Amino acid sequence: MSVTDWTRVANLSFDVALFSLIGAMVAGFAYLAFRRRALSTLSRAAGVLGAAACLVAIVGRGLAAGRTPWGNMYEYSLVMGFLVVVGHLVLVEGRAKVRTVAGFSYAFAVLTLAMATLFFDVGPAPLVPALNSYWRQIHVTAMISASSLLGLGCVLTMLYLVKERWEARELARLRAQHPLPIMGASTEVDAPPAYAGGADEPAAADPSALPPRGGLPAAATLDRLAYRFIAFGFPVWTFGVICGAIWAQDAWGRYWGWDPKETWSFITWVIFAGYLHARATSGWRGARAAAIALVGFVSLLVTYYAVNLWIAGLHSYST
Amino acid sequence: MTSPRPTYRQSVALVWRTLRSMRTALILLLALALASVAGSLIPQLPNSPGAVRQFLADHELLGRFYLRAGLLDVFGSWWFVLITTLLFVSLVACLVPRTRATFRAIRQRPVQARELDAFPSFRELVVEADPEVAAEAARRVLRRRGFRVAREGTSVAADKGLLREVGSLAFHWAFILLLAGVIVGKGTGYAGLAVLYEGETWIDAEANYDGQLRTGRFFGGDFSGLRLTLVEYADTFRTTGQPMDFRSTVEVADLQGRPLGTEVIRVNHPYRRGDLRVFQFGFGWAATAEVARGGEVITGSDPMELDQDPAPEGVSQLAMPWRGTIKLPGFEPQMAVDLEIWPDGRALLALIEDPSAPPRAMLQEFQPIARYRVWQGPLSDLSTHTLDTRFLESVPGASGLMGGGESHDLLEGATGVPASWPEDLTIRFADLREYSVLQVTRDRGVPVVLLAAILLLVGLLPALYSSRRKLWVHAEPGERGTTLKIGGFALQRRERFDEEFERVVADLVRVCGVQDAEPVRSR
Repeated sequence: MSVTDWTRVANLSFDVALFSLIGAMVAGFAYLAFRRRALSTLSRAAGVLGAAACLVAIVGRGLAAGRTPWGNMYEYSLVMGFLVVVGHLVLVEGRAKVRTVAGFSYAFAVLTLAMATLFFDVGPAPLVPALNSYWRQIHVTAMISASSLLGLGCVLTMLYLVKERWEARELARLRAQHPLPIMGASTEVDAPPAYAGGADEPAAADPSALPPRGGLPAAATLDRLAYRFIAFGFPVWTFGVICGAIWAQDAWGRYWGWDPKETWSFITWVIFAGYLHARATSGWRGARAAAIALVGFVSLLVTYYAVNLWIAGLHSYST
Repeated sequence: MTSPRPTYRQSVALVWRTLRSMRTALILLLALALASVAGSLIPQLPNSPGAVRQFLADHELLGRFYLRAGLLDVFGSWWFVLITTLLFVSLVACLVPRTRATFRAIRQRPVQARELDAFPSFRELVVEADPEVAAEAARRVLRRRGFRVAREGTSVAADKGLLREVGSLAFHWAFILLLAGVIVGKGTGYAGLAVLYEGETWIDAEANYDGQLRTGRFFGGDFSGLRLTLVEYADTFRTTGQPMDFRSTVEVADLQGRPLGTEVIRVNHPYRRGDLRVFQFGFGWAATAEVARGGEVITGSDPMELDQDPAPEGVSQLAMPWRGTIKLPGFEPQMAVDLEIWPDGRALLALIEDPSAPPRAMLQEFQPIARYRVWQGPLSDLSTHTLDTRFLESVPGASGLMGGGESHDLLEGATGVPASWPEDLTIRFADLREYSVLQVTRDRGVPVVLLAAILLLVGLLPALYSSRRKLWVHAEPGERGTTLKIGGFALQRRERFDEEFERVVADLVRVCGVQDAEPVRSR
């Protein structure tokens, strides 16, 4: 197949991926609202389809450009959307068995892909000489993976904050009741329920344990999951920044020069380092640490998007 | 009740305690992040001096404030240094006691405990083996699972996961190493730009950097004296004007002129010799335009490196002509000839034919054209790069276009030529060749910084993923056999520990032969 054929394949797959993931997102939210198992299955199937279509788009793009397809913002966003979906399917639904947050994870992936097609849509093109280095593959792969992991962690952190507020209110309401209700396993709010099957899913045999419709997983579950994502993403981010510095030493003659992208990757790193420290500090755990993670999320988005869109520097490869 | 005035000692202790607290470290980290935000949003002198100049011209009052506050060079400002210093002091203040404690913990054997049923994980078994035998079996089981074990009679204490603390310490100490590497490297090093036209030999010495040199605070002036001769500079562009490759072929020789071989320096492929690195940085055109009097060349026999004006919005930099100036200060009044070189003559011709057509990028040399114009008046300086026309007057009619190798009568057809100037002046566009800009850097800290980066990353993994856990086993003679009490806890990753605890219990059951077991209690 020729370059134009591969470009067409890539563009078509991109559209398939975007619409599958929108479908997965809608099904995910519907599952959260109505708790029909079929909706969760549908969401998962659409998510798998979306991931596969992303992969085809990435490969097609690479074949069209004749290089690894992470050379500009469009391609980064495509790979990031793919990794967010894979991260959600493998880590959130697979390992942690949390299914109710699917809509939010897919929403993140959909927004990432939408940004790609709205703001960064460029055809497959060769690279400027500074990008021609094997460090590009390592550095960019690490940065995109880390962004996906940290991004998912921050989405979960937002949900944690929402749920934590709700649980605190609920607890206050229960405490205000006369006579005091008996706090059993089903209303225990400071520990995740030991449900069978999914961590956020009640065992079918015990209908009384059904969480309310629209109920997110317990705050503690969300918090732990969010922490895991960030604790996974942070070393990857660190590795990516180090690789970037090694590459910069060869390409630009210095390992660090406070270029806007470098500066923002440092800011993001510092904020997430602050988050990890805050979690180990009494008085900062919980909502306060989560707030730091949210600041980190904003910084991540600035590092990823704003620096390329609005701040001129050595990393302006978006167009 | 009023508290007594703190003594000097108490105040120092208070400051030290504050510095050591995690809260201080967190606040300093956030301050560092905020300072960096300012550094990325406001144009910075070391990164983009042009943007800073523009900013100062556009915002007079704000610009002056920014300049005073160090906001135009955030990462070199006193307050950025202050935040960093405080952060490092706080870091050391935290690390020293932690490191001591960790060494103590490593040397110390696991400590025995009483009341095992008070721990979050606890199990009681009745086994067949004798207490002594059971305790020894427990010791071996825990040993095999990677615990450090201490046995006293029938009591066994075990712990695991000191690597977490060791990793965390390595991660944090790595920053001290990083800082040392940066300070030593930048302090004793230098970085500058060498401009060589094809055929030119350049020696690494202060005078040859032409002012484009930054030296470290502790730099002793020991330049390498390396000799670089640019054999050829080559670049390739796509038809779109997108660059593909920049390549300088350089003959290298040492201070004494002994040849060290021929090297090709490309983007991403610097030349290294010891801690000196030479990078491909830029390129340009160097023109030879000779001014002769009565057929005898009086100036301009060497190629001069030309400069470009920044391209306006939407125009490729490659479409811009190259400029240089020939200055003849010996004439009265003084004379200057400003040159505009078009390496691809077609670009100029296209512009003359249709001034509204989009400018054409000049991707290679093709029938180059030089446009010149003669000025008279007092010269502000003798640089070939700049022409200060404020005090000059152009000589009407003394201008023209020359192709490569062509020669023109400089003042032919001109009016108002000063009578004191000689009449038989000619100008010849003798030669056009490319020059290469090489960045020469010496940074002795690079290996240290790299080592610090590796240490940081290697330390980070156990610091985040391993967990500290402790386990105890007591074997006591009971009525029906030996009562085995197993208790323990984990400081991190508790769910993981629950599984591990189960496996330890299962191992003990297998080794000691169980008679009776009570379910595990978890808190």
